[in-house]
Amino acid sequence: MNMPENDKQSLSMVTCTAPVNIAVIKYWGKRDEDLILPINSSLSVTLHQDQLKTTTTVACSRNFQQDRIWLNGKEEDISNPRLQSCLQEIRRFSRKRRNTGDSTSDVSGVSHKVHICSVNNFPTAAGLASSASGYACLVYTLSQLFGVESEQLSAVARQGSGSACRSLYGGFVQWKLGEQLDGKDSLAEQVESESYWPELRVLTLVVSAEQKSVGSTSGMHASVETSQLLKYRADVVVPSRMEEMIRVIRERDFPAFGELTMKDSNQFHAICLDTYPPIFYLNNTSHRIISLVHRYNQYYGETRVAYTFDAGPNAVIYTLQDHLSEFVQVVRHFFPPEVSGEEFVKGLPVCSADLSEELKRDINMEPTPKGIRYIISTKAGPGPCVVKDPNHHLLGADGLPKKSVISD
Amino acid sequence: MNMPENDKQSLSMVTCTAPVNIAVIKYWGKRDEDLILPINSSLSVTLHQDQLKTTTTVACSRNFQQDRIWLNGKEEDISNPRLQSCLQEIRRFSRKRRNTGDSTSDVSGVSHKVHICSVNNFPTAAGLASSASGYACLVYTLSQLFGVESEQLSAVARQGSGSACRSLYGGFVQWKLGEQLDGKDSLAEQVESESYWPELRVLTLVVSAEQKSVGSTSGMHASVETSQLLKYRADVVVPSRMEEMIRVIRERDFPAFGELTMKDSNQFHAICLDTYPPIFYLNNTSHRIISLVHRYNQYYGETRVAYTFDAGPNAVIYTLQDHLSEFVQVVRHFFPPEVSGEEFVKGLPVCSADLSEELKRDINMEPTPKGIRYIISTKVIRGQCHTEAV
Repeated sequence: MNMPENDKQSLSMVTCTAPVNIAVIKYWGKRDEDLILPINSSLSVTLHQDQLKTTTTVACSRNFQQDRIWLNGKEEDISNPRLQSCLQEIRRFSRKRRNTGDSTSDVSGVSHKVHICSVNNFPTAAGLASSASGYACLVYTLSQLFGVESEQLSAVARQGSGSACRSLYGGFVQWKLGEQLDGKDSLAEQVESESYWPELRVLTLVVSAEQKSVGSTSGMHASVETSQLLKYRADVVVPSRMEEMIRVIRERDFPAFGELTMKDSNQFHAICLDTYPPIFYLNNTSHRIISLVHRYNQYYGETRVAYTFDAGPNAVIYTLQDHLSEFVQVVRHFFPPEVSGEEFVKGLPVCSADLSEELKRDINMEPTPKGIRYIISTKAGPGPCVVKDPNHHLLGADGLPKKSVISD
Repeated sequence: MNMPENDKQSLSMVTCTAPVNIAVIKYWGKRDEDLILPINSSLSVTLHQDQLKTTTTVACSRNFQQDRIWLNGKEEDISNPRLQSCLQEIRRFSRKRRNTGDSTSDVSGVSHKVHICSVNNFPTAAGLASSASGYACLVYTLSQLFGVESEQLSAVARQGSGSACRSLYGGFVQWKLGEQLDGKDSLAEQVESESYWPELRVLTLVVSAEQKSVGSTSGMHASVETSQLLKYRADVVVPSRMEEMIRVIRERDFPAFGELTMKDSNQFHAICLDTYPPIFYLNNTSHRIISLVHRYNQYYGETRVAYTFDAGPNAVIYTLQDHLSEFVQVVRHFFPPEVSGEEFVKGLPVCSADLSEELKRDINMEPTPKGIRYIISTKVIRGQCHTEAV
């Protein structure tokens, strides 16, 4: 395994990064709130860490008085039950390893306290779900520090945040619902690697946030309690969609992949509407983006672009490399950005493109100025990894966040 | 029955009015597109005609060359298949009556052509569904002219526009899905009359229309074709909701009635979202109205007000007389109207009310100026279509 940094103060330190994942078959609803077991399986695409990632440093020392955590420069409450779950579970696995004498790394630290420091390379205000990448990173980093087998990490990450287990793998990942009550078979596994479909591209359209949405945890709980359509979705619709999604990914069938992705996004939001009181995550701009995608596809007579929305107004667009430039131009045209200031398209470069007058006329929508704040252009990427360069540790030798990490 | 106007020119003429109805358990989806048979039963409340109605005059004469129809002052295409359905069906029933010798009225006119003129007392631009009241009125008026039994009208009205059959009765009306393939048992019937629950009040909130919505006929067809949740709604959810709705109406249990009404409205819109491509009937203002209702109810710790939305952004609010004034004031406060011009609240008078600062603070929403164009205040109708005195 790894060689945690070790010095006279018996301080071990490891830094890792983990990706964000975007579900194409959605997880929404638990059958067990403590173990975080879902009512249906889900499937996601792991995004490339060059554009979106969480970086976490964990330091462990006999000199630390207590566990502490800093998120995006600010110290947070370590007693958060989800955090505690992860810490306890990792320590339990680690002790089991030590007790069975399986010790390929230094696991004496498991009884010591930890300092955790975590940052995202994307702003929290962007509304991009960071709990998946955050918990995946935490769990992965702890496992590197304490020497826990990667196969067990799914269950631990899941108990931090359900979808975090999907961020433990790259490419196309499914989180199997499982059958056992103890959740031991509710695990994530890779369907295909990120190099399987290199033409697939992803755009995150960061929408101007108007109001605070209902959080995912309470939202899905309300849906389980009150939506009469949800059980049918989980028991009947999703299992067949999971099979279909795996098939169309393996066949690299973009039109089928796109259509299924859009349908599942819509069904998720339909369940939210069927919740009591109803939950509205899609706003006006989200509706316009949906409309734009359908009209664009209709113009070409095929599904070239697909949207998916999570518990917020931001759109994630899937498309193929060939259509990327034109579609970005279409977005720019119908959602003209602020003229000055930050770049509109961040991440992987996108070539400029001209739009035909015919296309613009056919789409026939009023432009929505500044409806989209910016776009992040990315693609499928790998799972978590260790950062070898010690300069990238977020904690100093004193176990406290480096000055550069603390927010002003 | 009636005495159609008759003069030397052998012109018979009858005028009737028919009400609008608002479904609390929604109809959305057909199992037969020709006979207009639904995939699930539905239940509605018939609104008072003083505020909302269709008036139709049908004249029949041997001198008319062809059937013609004018709607809201404009001549329309009589060959519209739904219109043709109604005309053919009514004539068929009428001939059957004549042939069986059952003739309590002058039915010789059935072979003559008709001129039909129809108006609504509410603007079409308001987006209030008028096909139900329109077809109910047409069918009822024709039946008065040609002497057709009222029991048969359900099936005829249904073939004009599904929900029209519910406008043939007053009060609380169900349209039973039926089992037969020929649709003969897919009929409307009264659950309870209006006088059963006199405290019930209805407000129609006419929202500023932004964009043209997908029409109901094509919308529900797309839902049947593409929504995987719809079949489950129709087969499992609606039957039990119909039973519950009938029960809570009979028990005059407003909180239960209100909650079920809101849930079914939301589920209908959920099905629209589960359609491919998705259909969005609710706009920003609709969402805000929904939010307002939930916060208002939460403030009082009970369901005092309930919303329902059809295939458009307008809200229909159900409440009890006791809460009417305050809720109208709440709407006025959070959706401040244009200062000048038309009155904001039309229809039945609504007393003014003061709102406590605590209530306003607790609702905690930004006002949406001019989000609602106007409100129509009404109640449940006392009786059904009736024939105007000449």
